[in-house]
Amino acid sequence: MPIRLIFRNLVRHKLRTALTVGSLAIAVFLLCVLRALVVSLDAGVRNSTSDRLIVQSAVSLFVNLPASYVGKLKAVEGVDSVARLQWFGGYYQDPSSFFGQFGVDPEKFLGMYPEFKIVEGSRERFLTERTACIIGRQTADRYGFKVGDTVPIIGTIFQRLDGSPWEFQVAGIYELESIVWDETTIFFPFEYLEESLKGGAASGPPGSGVIYIHLAEGVNPVNIAAEVDGLFENGPQRVQTTTEAEFNAQFVSMVGNIPFFVTTIGGGVLAAILLAVINTMLLAGREQRHDMGVLKALGFSDWAVFGVMLGQGVLLCVVGGGLGIGLAQLSSPEIAKLLGTMFPGFEMTSEILTNACTLSLGIGLLSGALPAAATRKLLAVDAFRRGA
Amino acid sequence: MSSTTATRTVVDLKDVTRAYSRGGERLVVLDALDFNIDEGERVAIMGPSGSGKTTLLNLIGGLDKPESGSVRVAGEELMDLTPPELARWRAGNVGIVFQGFNLIPVLSAQENVELPLLLAPLSRSERRAHAAHALELVGLADRASHRPGQLSGGQEQRVAIARAIVSDPTLILADEPTGDLDRASADSVMALLARLNEELGKTVIIVTHDPLAAASAQRSVHLDKGRWKSDGEGA
Repeated sequence: MPIRLIFRNLVRHKLRTALTVGSLAIAVFLLCVLRALVVSLDAGVRNSTSDRLIVQSAVSLFVNLPASYVGKLKAVEGVDSVARLQWFGGYYQDPSSFFGQFGVDPEKFLGMYPEFKIVEGSRERFLTERTACIIGRQTADRYGFKVGDTVPIIGTIFQRLDGSPWEFQVAGIYELESIVWDETTIFFPFEYLEESLKGGAASGPPGSGVIYIHLAEGVNPVNIAAEVDGLFENGPQRVQTTTEAEFNAQFVSMVGNIPFFVTTIGGGVLAAILLAVINTMLLAGREQRHDMGVLKALGFSDWAVFGVMLGQGVLLCVVGGGLGIGLAQLSSPEIAKLLGTMFPGFEMTSEILTNACTLSLGIGLLSGALPAAATRKLLAVDAFRRGA
Repeated sequence: MSSTTATRTVVDLKDVTRAYSRGGERLVVLDALDFNIDEGERVAIMGPSGSGKTTLLNLIGGLDKPESGSVRVAGEELMDLTPPELARWRAGNVGIVFQGFNLIPVLSAQENVELPLLLAPLSRSERRAHAAHALELVGLADRASHRPGQLSGGQEQRVAIARAIVSDPTLILADEPTGDLDRASADSVMALLARLNEELGKTVIIVTHDPLAAASAQRSVHLDKGRWKSDGEGA
């Protein structure tokens, strides 16, 4: 019966309750999405491993490293393998259809990234064919690319001299076991690019943008990074070697204060909804003052009526929060598609949803506790005197 | 204040004073009052507005505490009880009928009547059976599923009486039970209270302005400015 009383009191003003539940649902949904955005920005950093180092020019990420560096890096003790990586910067059909493309050393790159799983097509084909490529699941789904298709990419940094687009054959589609990269990028053999440049079929800067190092087991990454930096101290191109986590963190910092900005908006949303729900519950408390007096006159304890009021706040927020959480979970695949390459690691994690549950419960407890505390202290005679 | 026929004293108030502070002024509502009611009595407390009738009823029902004096009801000294003990005592010993009915508007008549039984160790089916029986006693078995807003004033007051008697209390306290009712409904409610007193042996205390209502009591007493004016047999 108290549960029924809690429920019936909640639906006493259907419109008000519906509006409050709706506000809560939207606020919790927004909080989940905002949190997922922040988490996605950070996903690459969190999932980084310490056995991968990235060597880049000490001047700028946009200055390429000489091809000769690869051999020197391989010779460093503790280095297991080395892979070149070159940002290609082209586009498919239209400049607005953006997704990343990288030239890589296929075998070395996939070897140091076991997180990449070729779920369709052939890994072997990617490793052996000059113009083969692998495509992330999201991009494949977005543009309908299938294994065997030819993907024409119009170069911007690297342009073919005959004016034609670069053509890559889809050898496979990959998915990631953990978010160490994203599922939107196309990887193709670096050699294809290198040969085109050397053969005069294309123009663009020589060398590779960065070089990835995979360390042997048990090697201290900090020592190797220092050794590599020292190796090229006198040029021809000074380098900066970082762990994968530090490297990825650079990109997060490049987007400025987005995490702070998004978190601040989330805080604002939270504060606003908390005040709105408290207001609703205070109104409910005032309206039910007389009824609570009746319960006390009938012999219900102070804590029992406290529970009836608190229960209303909790139920209100659990329903509203639950709707918001459900909406966030159901819509997250679509949101991820909409965000596309901007937030490639966007995911509604169980941690976000659990936190949203806790938050909803917290708002419910807090908003219910204020009128509940006033009701607990209320004397039945006062309730009848003032509320009659 | 003496009993006439019953042997056991149910209400025993001694030297009870209750005062309020209003605007820095001390307002004495009950002034060193003594009052006894025996088991099975039906007593009407009358008096003008502000005479202290409702305050007296609240003290007897354990809803309020006096400034000084002793309030012994159904064998318990209420001054000695803590608020939780008082709530438990009230649930087991007192049924209260209010002028404004004070039914919970979001619950049906059946659910309103069941409310006091939630405090008793009864199963759901037992609670439903007791509530249905109480509604039958007040002639509203066919209105069990109606909410208060769907009932007339007289019917609401009868539901309130059913709620007051459902837990089989020693005392029924009725504060202006006919105040908001037309004559016919008021007569029906007073007849019902008389029946509960005569057939079920409940001790009934009625606070009222209505001389006709008071006339149905076995004894009526009059309060004025917190003191007794007279005490005599009702009609």
